[in-house]
Amino acid sequence: MHKASVRLEQLMPIILEQIKAGESVQFTPQGTSMRPTIYGGRDQVVLSALPEKLRKYDLPLYRRDNGQYVLHRILKVGESYTCIGDNQYEYEEGVRQDQMLALAKGFIRKGKYHSVDSVSYKCYCRFWHYTRFLRHFWYWLCGGIKRRTAKLFGKGK
Amino acid sequence: MKLKDGFILRTVAGETVVLPTGGVTNFDMMITLNDTGRFLWELLAKGTERDELVEALLGEYEVAPETAERSVDAFVARLKELDFLA
Repeated sequence: MHKASVRLEQLMPIILEQIKAGESVQFTPQGTSMRPTIYGGRDQVVLSALPEKLRKYDLPLYRRDNGQYVLHRILKVGESYTCIGDNQYEYEEGVRQDQMLALAKGFIRKGKYHSVDSVSYKCYCRFWHYTRFLRHFWYWLCGGIKRRTAKLFGKGK
Repeated sequence: MKLKDGFILRTVAGETVVLPTGGVTNFDMMITLNDTGRFLWELLAKGTERDELVEALLGEYEVAPETAERSVDAFVARLKELDFLA
């Protein structure tokens, strides 16, 4: 008997089966796209069934057409959804309702549970969203300085 | 000796996995079982005492009685550690 080493994608049928059965599901996601909110491999996410309607700032689990499972934030709701990771700057447009699988109702960050219904979390989502362009500009600036420094000192060839 | 209620046992990518359920299915608590583990697990799900588990193992696999006893004891100890036993 040992800790399971099967990959998360292989467990998706069971995750979805459990959600369909009315259970919440807790697991440790991987990846860096949702930092600093969720650190892959360290923090856990608690998912439940999809509500009737998804809203802006919701954090759904969806499946891309290439089969990849993604947990990203909704930033625009229209005929389809526009989603993005908290650590990303490129929006993913055209995510369809039929790709949506479950919704995060909370996450465990450094061992502490945070509900997505809490006021502090809602404030955090908005703050992070409205300051995205500042972070993007900052990284662009740092990248530019780094490139110029490397060029000046003959590195990076 | 019996397992607590609410576990699901599935085969994923050729591996037997066990998950505790009951409101929240925690995939971080998931364990995998080898063939012997699955055999013992299924007996424990029905409720089986330690000596009966050893006997069943001896009947199913060609192992020495001491090996069977050690396997059963180690398996049961791990389940107790995980708080999986009723």
